[in-house]
Amino acid sequence: MAAAANVYAFRDVRAVPDPVLEPPPAVRVPHPVPLVIDNGSFQARVGWACPGAEPDPRLLFRSVCARSRGAARGGGAQVGNDLGSLEPLRWLLRSPFDRNVPVNLELQELLLDYSFQRLGVASQGCVDHPVVLTEAVCNPLYSRQMMSELLFECYGIPKVSYGIDSLYSFYHNKRKNSISSGLIISSGYQCTHILPVLKGRLDAKNCKRINLGGSQAAAYLQRLLQLKYPGHLAAITLSRMEEILHEHSYIAEDYVEELQKWRSPEYYENNVHKMQLPFSSKLLGSTLTSEEKQERRQQQLRRLQELNARRREEKLQLDQERLDRLLFVQELLEDGQMDQFHKALVELNMDSPEELQSYIQKLSLSVEQTKQKILQAEVNIEVDVVDTKPETPDLEQLEQSLEDVENMNDFEPLFSEETPEVEKPVTTVQPMFNLAEYHQLFLGTERIRAPEIIFQPSLIGEEQAGIAETIQYVLDRYPKEIQEALVQNVFLTGGNVMYPGMKSRIEKELLEMRPFQSSFQVQVASNPVLDAWYGARDWALEHMNREEGWITRKDYEEKGGEYLKEHTASNIYIPIRVPKQTPRISEAQASSKAASISSPCEQV
Amino acid sequence: METVSESKVVTPDFSTGPVETTPKPLPFKDPNFVHSGIGGAVAGKKNRTWKNLKQILASERALPWQLNDPSYFSIDAPPSFKPARKYSDISGLIANYTDPQSKLRFSTIEEFAYIRMLPSDVVTGYLALRKATSIVP
Repeated sequence: MAAAANVYAFRDVRAVPDPVLEPPPAVRVPHPVPLVIDNGSFQARVGWACPGAEPDPRLLFRSVCARSRGAARGGGAQVGNDLGSLEPLRWLLRSPFDRNVPVNLELQELLLDYSFQRLGVASQGCVDHPVVLTEAVCNPLYSRQMMSELLFECYGIPKVSYGIDSLYSFYHNKRKNSISSGLIISSGYQCTHILPVLKGRLDAKNCKRINLGGSQAAAYLQRLLQLKYPGHLAAITLSRMEEILHEHSYIAEDYVEELQKWRSPEYYENNVHKMQLPFSSKLLGSTLTSEEKQERRQQQLRRLQELNARRREEKLQLDQERLDRLLFVQELLEDGQMDQFHKALVELNMDSPEELQSYIQKLSLSVEQTKQKILQAEVNIEVDVVDTKPETPDLEQLEQSLEDVENMNDFEPLFSEETPEVEKPVTTVQPMFNLAEYHQLFLGTERIRAPEIIFQPSLIGEEQAGIAETIQYVLDRYPKEIQEALVQNVFLTGGNVMYPGMKSRIEKELLEMRPFQSSFQVQVASNPVLDAWYGARDWALEHMNREEGWITRKDYEEKGGEYLKEHTASNIYIPIRVPKQTPRISEAQASSKAASISSPCEQV
Repeated sequence: METVSESKVVTPDFSTGPVETTPKPLPFKDPNFVHSGIGGAVAGKKNRTWKNLKQILASERALPWQLNDPSYFSIDAPPSFKPARKYSDISGLIANYTDPQSKLRFSTIEEFAYIRMLPSDVVTGYLALRKATSIVP
């Protein structure tokens, strides 16, 4: 086929299951290094914070799991990359996250099991490494309590540190300045945060969160395309939408102007992206190739032949029975039993022995003929099986017996197609081109509409303000000098900022809202997706042996799960105790647990 | 006893290393761990589900926050003050017109013709996308 302009195929990537990795010996010697887990609602990134080795996260997997067999049995749940392609399991997928907060800790436990297992954690009875974990901005205390409980009581870790992923990313990209202030715009899968940082510390009461991110853009795009192409409802999957967002979408610097450009047909032709859906040409009947037609015909003929053979056999049986009866009656005559003979004749509705005789003759003749036909048909079936080419002789033979067949009507179109068969190959060529186009999704303005929702949430009916207005709102809460300081260092991070054109759009918005002739600086993270993990690793390496920032087991027991030790990249801790809900049954166990908690766990 | 359904077989077979088949116990976990969040203290056997975010936030609101304390719900961005621009539901271009029959917005005559030919479920779909469906009592 000639390469059409702007036609792209979906890659439909399948995830590769992660093997169980062997950690390098440095993770345990001289003492266990921290495990860094960037617990994102889209993707979890896990790795070691090992000085001198392993600068990259070892595991990157989607934060989803699916129960494979038996709904409530809880056996064989698969996590992340073990699932391969997500689409067949789309309705079974469950995530521990509700927006950007983990609420279902059972599923979180599954994800952590997966991470520890694939990383090769081999310590017995507990996970011996300190853990650095990311949490949401202003994480609800209840959620932190649950998470701490999971980590300390189920896995037995020695100490944990909670931090905000965008702050880790900020510090990773800003090592030179010792004291840093700036405005972080962090756009993730579920929400977008505007975080002002003053003198190295997050100013939490002035943060703002817009509840829109990559997942809402993907859902919007999916519904747009499903409404536009109702015939391809099933083929327009969320995974493909994510692929379109990652590779074919961009953010317009000036949305209205860009839309005007799209009005012109030439611009549309040059810039439309036609996504080719996979299709097979066997779906429509008119595009059957001639071999397939022949095969179909043969199948039908075979069926017909079988049917005819069966009918002939039945007829044969009936005739045979009747013949036997008549012969019996004739024997009566020969034997001389005239009365019975006459009675039988009356029963048979015949007048004289001659009639009986002729009838018998006719019947035996037809029986012979039927037997012949059966034999011939059997032979023909064998011939048919051997070579598939000569169809027409079979057809001629069957045409005789067509009166017997009920489904002759089905065959009329088939037989009438014989003569126009020569013309068919020509007409089947044309539908092939239209078929390919029928299975293409045209992405015109959708390329800019889907990512635009974080700037204009009214596109999907959200009442919240977009990024630009929220930035203005946050800045207005500060005096002018601090505003100046903040806009000198606007930092973009998070997977959802990776659209082409995002940086220039933010710059344009800032230009509109800042006073005339004031300056600002916008910087994008060097790797918006992974920088949070790298930043957390840097923090872990720096603070590995220090006290500050870590919540130890003792802190957990004394101050409760919702306790947080503040550090440069953490939330603000509000000392409110959240009463812990304990199931009544386990209260008796709690006392026995307290005795065993302090015992050190075994080491391999 | 409410053991967590994922927490594995009772026999504390700690000597197994990294696991391939799923129902085997993982060595680094406590097999008797029970989440306290599941079920909660309310009525024991009922309410075995986890709280979702809405419920968590509702109970968080009841805690003694001070006026300026940052909390998950106080961080929500405020609603927009600027009037929203109207875009066509079909093409996304600036829409100057609205179809009175279906309430869909359009920008050109061809779009209008297209809208009038749409089946009603597609029309409702477009409106739902904008959260503009009227609630039928």
